[in-house]
Amino acid sequence: MSHAPEESAVSPARTEGIQKFFHERLGLEVLAGLAAKKLVPIHRSTHFYFLGGMALFLFIVQIISGVLLSLYYKPSPDQAFESVQAFMTEVDFGWLIRSVHSWAANLLIGILFLHLLTAYMMRAYHRPRELTWVSGILLLLLFMAFGFSGYLLPWNQLAFFATRVGTALVGVVPVVGPDLLLLARGGENVTGDTLSRFYALHVAILPLLTLGMLGFHLFMVQQHGMSIPERDLRRYGGRQQIPTMPFVPDFLLRDAVGWYLALGLLAALAALFPWELGEKADPFGSAPEGIKPEWYFLFMFQALKQLPGHILGMEGEMLGTLFFGGVGLVVLVVPFLDRGPRSRHVLNILATAAVLFFIVMTAWGYFDKNSLRLILGASLSLGSLALTIPFTNRGTRSRSVLWLLGTLAFCLLMVGLLWELTL
Amino acid sequence: MKALASIIFGITLFHSAVFAAAPDENDAVVPVAEAAVPERLEEDYSCMFCHGKNGTLAGPEKNRHLIVSEEDLKTDIHWRKGLRCHECHGGNPKLDDFVDHRNDPSFRSLTSPQDVPGFCGHCHSNTKYMRRYRPSPRVDQETEYWTSGHGQLLQEKPTAKVATCVSCHGGHDTRAVGDLESRVYPTRVAKTCAVCHADAELMAGRNYHDRPLGHQQFELWSKSVHAQAMMKKGDLSAATCNDCHGNHGAVPPDVDSVANACGTCHVKVAELFATTKMKHSFEKIDLPGCATCHGNHEIRSPTDKMLGMIDGALCARCHEEGEHGATLAGAEIARQMHDGLADLVTQISTVEEKLDKAERLGMEIRGPRFRLRDANDALTNARTLVHTFAIEPVQEAVTEGLTVTTEVDADAEAVLKEYTNRRVWLGLSLVPIFAVVALLVLYIRSTPISKS
Amino acid sequence: MEDKCDKLDTCDNCPRRSWLFRMLVGMNLATVASLLYPVLRFLKPRRSTSSGAFQVVAPLRVNQLRPDEEGNWPAPFEFAGKPCILVRTLDGEVKAFNAVCTHTDCTVKFRPQEGDIYCSCHGGVYDINGRNVAGPPPRPLESFKVNLRGKPGQEEIIVSRA
Repeated sequence: MSHAPEESAVSPARTEGIQKFFHERLGLEVLAGLAAKKLVPIHRSTHFYFLGGMALFLFIVQIISGVLLSLYYKPSPDQAFESVQAFMTEVDFGWLIRSVHSWAANLLIGILFLHLLTAYMMRAYHRPRELTWVSGILLLLLFMAFGFSGYLLPWNQLAFFATRVGTALVGVVPVVGPDLLLLARGGENVTGDTLSRFYALHVAILPLLTLGMLGFHLFMVQQHGMSIPERDLRRYGGRQQIPTMPFVPDFLLRDAVGWYLALGLLAALAALFPWELGEKADPFGSAPEGIKPEWYFLFMFQALKQLPGHILGMEGEMLGTLFFGGVGLVVLVVPFLDRGPRSRHVLNILATAAVLFFIVMTAWGYFDKNSLRLILGASLSLGSLALTIPFTNRGTRSRSVLWLLGTLAFCLLMVGLLWELTL
Repeated sequence: MKALASIIFGITLFHSAVFAAAPDENDAVVPVAEAAVPERLEEDYSCMFCHGKNGTLAGPEKNRHLIVSEEDLKTDIHWRKGLRCHECHGGNPKLDDFVDHRNDPSFRSLTSPQDVPGFCGHCHSNTKYMRRYRPSPRVDQETEYWTSGHGQLLQEKPTAKVATCVSCHGGHDTRAVGDLESRVYPTRVAKTCAVCHADAELMAGRNYHDRPLGHQQFELWSKSVHAQAMMKKGDLSAATCNDCHGNHGAVPPDVDSVANACGTCHVKVAELFATTKMKHSFEKIDLPGCATCHGNHEIRSPTDKMLGMIDGALCARCHEEGEHGATLAGAEIARQMHDGLADLVTQISTVEEKLDKAERLGMEIRGPRFRLRDANDALTNARTLVHTFAIEPVQEAVTEGLTVTTEVDADAEAVLKEYTNRRVWLGLSLVPIFAVVALLVLYIRSTPISKS
Repeated sequence: MEDKCDKLDTCDNCPRRSWLFRMLVGMNLATVASLLYPVLRFLKPRRSTSSGAFQVVAPLRVNQLRPDEEGNWPAPFEFAGKPCILVRTLDGEVKAFNAVCTHTDCTVKFRPQEGDIYCSCHGGVYDINGRNVAGPPPRPLESFKVNLRGKPGQEEIIVSRA
């Protein structure tokens, strides 16, 4: 945002002097030039560009709140839970910082999922942006690893057992599984060493990798400019004809709206569902009922739970883990699989199936009640189709079908929730 | 019993007969840890020549009681302290040729179980002698023994099958009392008594002061809170047989001494009970103190249900029908005591639930939880004061507890309210955030996109 | 909207946008301040560190360890969620014990006259070293390590788990 009016209110000569001082020494002209030249195309899907900015904003929130938490956190099984309890109760606003950190993590993953989905729908991965896509997928995996390692740190009962189950999955990978398990847990079992490992991962290894990958991702975006959906390109007749706005200040202002919305969402979530502390982990006790991983791992957890012990002579769990690994790999190389309208058609079907699978399995795993699973699973699945509305043409049949489905989903959700609340 | 009948010369070790009859005996004797070669006797020490495991007397069953194994001797406290056969049995161990030592005037024969206490008492009742081993020795065991149920029976009937020193302590394998494997080590006492007292056949027809002895004491005690404390928690101070009945002078406590027996550990309750009217009422109709309500061998952990007039409460036994001169006013007191305790219990658990909830939510509750301890103390105190059989002290303690729970409850409520407040304030922060969003949108709308 | 309003940084001629801009800047500053405030408060050192702690400074000094006018010894204070009792031997040594009676969890108290630790619930008695010597308690009291710091006669008492 420009501060020109404020600056003119002070002494213009002095501000110019300061500006000159930094320009000379830091070579800010280059940056200023870049910023001035950076343009953002305006079309029907421009709003989806905000998702990346929101994710970046949340990542910054994570860094700040994470650093703050690390001031009081003690990564040892004797003290981890107590230190979290202590900074939630004894330190001013400790509860807020922790709640923000936990919720921002979840929000970040959610927004990254949407970012991924919209990037897919806009085909933002096509030549020459393949590496942007690949780095984006890797970033998502990194953030999921952040979530997984961070979940254990408070050393409470749910986290402890969820980590035990989660790391056990690594063990079923053929050949290297047992070694990977040892590597992940730092021993046969989830112990204090696992906690130290996850702490190192969470506060040192992952942040370094993420910063590098994020730098690369942003560099690629800068290098190739914003991707424009083909449909809009066709409509305006080429990249040169499409209307644009400068990144500074116009797009930045709009981005700020996204940030503030993320901030608002964060505050709302923290107020509605404050992050609880739970009970201290008892490694030698029996697993508590209803252990669940974080919601973004739930679809995997739930699906693996349904698999029979053996499929075609292989261990069911092993097969399931390999399957999800395979899916991940496919997602990673999507840009290279999209080789024309036909393969794109196949990919679209697969992607729809994957999204539906994700939503249904998550709803199934998250809600104990069958009715809630049904309602939310169905309405969210249908609702996710509404995301594709901007990519269909006005007045076409598919557009109206999508509207219909979207409306149906909304009604279903409302009726179901009302029914659920009155019962 | 065959073994007993087969005593020919009356030189007997009575215990071998009794323990031969006990199937458990072999289980109870754990092999000696240091099973090295038994210490050799001096060459001119001749007892083992005949009485040893491979001695000339070994072999025939009728001689069994005459054989002493060297393994047993190695565990024997007397042997370990350097005492040798003749120091208990008398006689001259250094005779070269076989001489019937029973004719030696210094030989001390054991011709009947009745001889055993005196045989042991020869040393153990001798203060001067015992002082060699302990500066302030106990020398009253023999005297005590003759006052015990066992001793009195033995005095009446010299041939009676009844426990003597060796029955519990062992003969040639008498271990020190503090030895973990001693039959009289606290954790083993009950089992040792049970060898005879749980034997239905042996106990059949036996009476003490015209009351049948029965044989279920061990079984009942095993279910008691005392047995749990001793066997499960390893609390050696928990009450076992001898703590109430005495050991050398073992007798069932008299009606008027039950409370004193319990009072050796349960000091405060006994003190409270001693001054009550209830005690006199019990005495008048020959009911024992504590045991009337708590039972004797099978003493379970007391519950609040035992108090009051409903759900099989014990007070109702007499007070409902006005039996034994029990009054309805007493019933009312029992009811009030019960209700007071129940009220406090409910209050405490309600507050505890609130505190648990707040803790799970990550709120600071250490202060309130710490103070709640006072309520629990008051509850325990009130339960103790029930034994005054008066309403005032109980009510006072309950009131004290309730005052604490009320305060802590207010604190817990305040903490939970604070939690809600935080959420409300956080929710309110949405207002400025959305105001900025709205302003931003307005600003964007009012500004045309700048030309690049 | 007037034509003059077309350029972003000259707002003098456009009162509506100028007002909006000022509001925005103000609101943004307020937001930043409201974000900074909790952070700064978070950075402030906390008051106490006793939950799950291994060490605590007792709220009493050595010279305050004496019976009051009614002959009552100072009440136990909290250490790691449990009451901690401080006693003083005849030669002035300070000892600290977990004041939870090993019988039924009542809070024990020190009786300076008798020189023992007494539990009034069931009359359990511990000696000055915490050993159970009479009544129903099955085990000795848990003892804590005591360190003294400061001016002789009125040292601070630091209790820690051994």
